[in-house]
Amino acid sequence: MFTSVMGLIVADNKKITLGELTSPRALSAVPFAGRYRIVDFVLSNMVNTGIKNVGVLTYNKYKSLMDHLGTGSPWSLDRKNDGLHILPPYVNSEATNVSGDEELAGIIDFLRTSRTDYVIVASSNVVLNSNFNAFIKSHQESGADISVMYNRDGNKAGSPCYILDTDDDGFVCDMLYNPEKATSNKCSLGIILLRRDMMIDIIAKMMAHGTSHFGIHSIVKMFDEFKVHAYEYTGTALRINSVQTYFNASMALLDGNVRDNLFWSGESVYTKIKDEAPTLYFESSEVSNSMISDGCRIYGNVENSIIFRGVTISKNTTVKNCVIMQGAHISENCNLENVILDKNAFVRPGVRLVGHPSYPIVIGKGAGI
Amino acid sequence: MAKLAVAMILAGGQGARLGVLTKKIAKPAVPFGSRYRIIDFPLSNCVNSGIETVGVLSQYQPLALNTYVGNGHPWDLDRHNAGAYILPPYQKTGKSDWYKGTANAIYQNKDFLDDCDPKYVVILSGDHIYKMDYAEMIEAHIRKGADATLAVIEVPWAEASRFGILNTKDDDIITEFVEKPAKPESNLASMGVYVFTWEVLRKALIEDEENPDSNNDFGMNIVPMLLASGKKLCAFRFSGYWKDVGTIASLWETNMDILDKPEDINLIDRSWKIYSRNPVKPSHFIGNDAKVVSSALTDGCRIHGTVIHSVLSDSVIVEKGAVVKDCVLFPGVVVKSGANIERCVVDFGTVIGENVKAGPSVTGEGPYTNHKICSEGIVVFERGLKIKANSTIPGNSMVDSDVQTTEEENVIEEIFRV
Repeated sequence: MFTSVMGLIVADNKKITLGELTSPRALSAVPFAGRYRIVDFVLSNMVNTGIKNVGVLTYNKYKSLMDHLGTGSPWSLDRKNDGLHILPPYVNSEATNVSGDEELAGIIDFLRTSRTDYVIVASSNVVLNSNFNAFIKSHQESGADISVMYNRDGNKAGSPCYILDTDDDGFVCDMLYNPEKATSNKCSLGIILLRRDMMIDIIAKMMAHGTSHFGIHSIVKMFDEFKVHAYEYTGTALRINSVQTYFNASMALLDGNVRDNLFWSGESVYTKIKDEAPTLYFESSEVSNSMISDGCRIYGNVENSIIFRGVTISKNTTVKNCVIMQGAHISENCNLENVILDKNAFVRPGVRLVGHPSYPIVIGKGAGI
Repeated sequence: MAKLAVAMILAGGQGARLGVLTKKIAKPAVPFGSRYRIIDFPLSNCVNSGIETVGVLSQYQPLALNTYVGNGHPWDLDRHNAGAYILPPYQKTGKSDWYKGTANAIYQNKDFLDDCDPKYVVILSGDHIYKMDYAEMIEAHIRKGADATLAVIEVPWAEASRFGILNTKDDDIITEFVEKPAKPESNLASMGVYVFTWEVLRKALIEDEENPDSNNDFGMNIVPMLLASGKKLCAFRFSGYWKDVGTIASLWETNMDILDKPEDINLIDRSWKIYSRNPVKPSHFIGNDAKVVSSALTDGCRIHGTVIHSVLSDSVIVEKGAVVKDCVLFPGVVVKSGANIERCVVDFGTVIGENVKAGPSVTGEGPYTNHKICSEGIVVFERGLKIKANSTIPGNSMVDSDVQTTEEENVIEEIFRV
């Protein structure tokens, strides 16, 4: 891979909220799959493509994202040249009232300091594990100005969903936002590739037109002006755009094929290291069909669940179809079913919490029940 | 740049008593406790004690150890003017030497220490599992105005003759060091953790080097020499968990301690974390047909069989219908369906074939029986082996690809690089 590419990750999406899960943090910082944050996947994909310069675009609530990403060292992005750059809204020193184009000004500055030929811009609400080499190759062969990655989830992908219509040569000829009746099942994965200088021109034009908000699909929408090629991704891609799809994506991890595709296909997914102890299963534990992370102490029953790092599940307690995030403590004689428990929640003895698979209960970060 | 204290970890020994486990890697790099290597303990103790300059003296099979320690990043030892330094023996004008003994290894690195210019040097070994605050020990050393301080632990009197024993008088001042005494006068065993005033040690190392009859060993030569010359040597009592993992039996037992007495070593204690290099694997997965009890697991494991009272390192696969009991499985081990293994220590990546039966419940002796290395019915497997399906291996065996057997008795189907 000698094509030089930089990465730009749009770490939040104003159209997507996951209730209590995104109230303390950006979408991309939502914990996922036991030991990751959603952003780890796209970031690792970029690193596994050989990208050494990545910008992460944030709006607000970026503390937890910054804690997570740090210097970028888990992704080998703590570099003297290039590396990881967090791009909070760009405010000039004297400006007290914001002019509206801070976001775009931050992007254009970052793009200008790089020397790469291409830039990959990716949203952070899709979990997939693949390097972008095939995507880049297809872009170069197609002769397109811009390429966009999609899969065939159609409009059942949930909102926001951008359905792409393509011509016989695979070029985008129409794009529909949340259509009631989809004309195709090609749903954008929110990952685009274009030349860096072209991206700079596009952003400069947006700024000149007084646009304040940057969206990946506002670039895809320029199919009249540019040749936009659609590239199909056929591997596993889990979309997270609501509490329900977050829960579904978590439960999908219990499928062996999904796990193989996401974690054992050859590419590593990097994340911040916590140096937890190994997980201890005690004599009374009963665990089946579950993904369990380091540093847990399991005394009770766990079934069809995703357990994050440092969780305690006490005796005579049953956790079924749940997502239990880092540091949660579930006391004795509890029964949790279809529950998403955010970080450091504490469940006192004897609590019974039962949600429905189509409407899981979400318990916020640090809550005591 | 002067430093208060520098630690030197003696990590060059072969660890021959660990048999095939140290055929390709030095003992400190041997996996321990599901997600650690032995050297993680002294390295983490150093960092947690505030010692930020750590020399790692490697010699025997250094590749795995050097790669593992690397730039010291996992232990926060990648620092300006400090950090982890791998110190191999090196070529010099005139003569070149391997490290002849523990004291000689430090002697050969006296330039390194002189550059660090420490007031105190902490000498550690790479084969013990314990959590200890070396800062407390250095404070005691300073308070007592000692020239050298040796950490000691009280051992049961019955076992005292297996250790290096320190005889002391009032205020824990050391009067004598006796290696494995037949009739011990004290039950204070040396833990192999020393604090020296660098000036004193430097002089002693030079003197020891000039003595052609010396074994250049800390316990055997340096300590008696300092005692004879009237230096003040103090004992520093340690009462926490401390285990030597120099033999297969002790390595196995210490792993089992994590399961039986998790509070003793208390790996979950956030105030004294043990750091390690991360394998970068997803969370482990316990399948529908699996049963996992009384065990320790870490990232990347995929369990579809039965795991009872065992310690599994990262990325171990236990297939459906396999039974793993009282075992210690190193990273990447695969236990195929129908296999039933008990009291086995299995090295990196070895594949236990279908329906293999191994452990003390298999009676008799075979070509791999090895009472010198193995005891208590433990079976040890070399790394990177594919064990033939349906093999049976009795307890106290060491499955080693160098053992000559008949075609019929050979349990190794394939040897691969891991």
